[in-house]
Amino acid sequence: MKAATNSVSFTLNGEKKTFATSPDEKLLDLLRREGYRGTKYGCGQGTCGACTVIMDGRAVYACLLYAMQAEGRKVRTIESAGTFEKPNEFQKELIDAGAVQCGYCIPGIVMSATALMETEKDFSDEIAREYMDGNLCRCTGYEKIWIALRRTLDRKAAADAKPAAEKTTKRSSSKGAK
Amino acid sequence: MKLCEFIRPEKLSDARNALRKLGPKGMPLAGGTALHFMNTKTPGTAVDITRLGLSYIRQEAGAFVIGAATPLSDIQRYRSPRWSMHEICRRISTHQIRNVSTIGGNICRVFPWADLPVVLLAMNARMMIYTGKKKEDEVGADDFFASQPARRFAGGDLLTAVKIPFLKANHGFGSVKAARNAAAFSLVTVAALLELKDGRIQAARVAAGSAIPFPKRLRSVEAALIGNEAIPEVFRAAAAKATEDAKWCKQEGMSAEYIKDLAEVSLVDALERAAEFARGRTK
Repeated sequence: MKAATNSVSFTLNGEKKTFATSPDEKLLDLLRREGYRGTKYGCGQGTCGACTVIMDGRAVYACLLYAMQAEGRKVRTIESAGTFEKPNEFQKELIDAGAVQCGYCIPGIVMSATALMETEKDFSDEIAREYMDGNLCRCTGYEKIWIALRRTLDRKAAADAKPAAEKTTKRSSSKGAK
Repeated sequence: MKLCEFIRPEKLSDARNALRKLGPKGMPLAGGTALHFMNTKTPGTAVDITRLGLSYIRQEAGAFVIGAATPLSDIQRYRSPRWSMHEICRRISTHQIRNVSTIGGNICRVFPWADLPVVLLAMNARMMIYTGKKKEDEVGADDFFASQPARRFAGGDLLTAVKIPFLKANHGFGSVKAARNAAAFSLVTVAALLELKDGRIQAARVAAGSAIPFPKRLRSVEAALIGNEAIPEVFRAAAAKATEDAKWCKQEGMSAEYIKDLAEVSLVDALERAAEFARGRTK
């Protein structure tokens, strides 16, 4: 790292942290030097998506953000998702679908999908594509990643619809009772 | 751009004062994505303008007012009956970029491939500029994009908002961005605003960018539209006039001749979309 002349404080994976940094340091470099190496350096110019993290609920490229821009924000990296022993639902689906070859793009893909699942209620193909359009995979041709994502989204949509449906039936039955 | 300092002013006036003092060394930073690609010899100071309350979309006196530091993704998600800005924002770069890039960043320093200047020219948008006075300057798109807007801001003045007039009854808007793939820079971007009356074109604003050195209105195309019926033959004839205003340049291995054809086809598409849009709008 270059001479640290500044400090930056933000919530990283739920923990408040302060780091010494320089004005010119990229958020990606800071994260990786602090040990958060799940976030990958791919192109370094905001094209490939391997460095995707979530800042204040939105997927962003850590390579195109100065670390100083994260001041006071909430940043989440792939380390906040599942672990090797306990992968999260989407990570499990990726494994089951055989969607991981070299694996370099996967942390970014998982983070973009997380932003999608946490922000949207409608998981139509159009919206899902929009959230995933900033992540490149050079191995799989996307097909298996897409299958894994679709399975996860469909299951989540069904689970989300269930309580709502239960509520509606309850309401309509109580109405009927009146 | 290499940064040697990063400051976070709390007020608009402080940001302007800092930028005035810094001169060419100072650089306002909102999304900051463009800064990473700017080659400057001397390191600069970033003046963070994301904490000044400049990120919003409001409706005021017949116009949508978009704060200068509003991310493109917010503009893309916004919906209202007289609004059509979401279309083009969806076509800009990738999801992650749209989450940080701002409308101000896209138009204050115009890169040849920028899409929003083209759309704002066609929409007749107005830019609000803070010059240190209580009342902000209001500059029309034609004036704002007459030359590189970055020059206007060299003295520390700041864009605060963009006003986009509501689409009135019988008005329609269409834009087309032609690119090699979804995330690529534009090869040609065109936009058209049409006002129809009894199937005839009453008024038109047509603009293009990317395949020409700087975005501009296509006044010969507009002249060929006004007074005529809104039908494909008229659109095709008008699009063919574009060469009178714009000298199409070759792009990414494609010849200038090909780009000219691409631009003309894109213009016809944009005009058809605008006419279709206008026909469906009776209030």
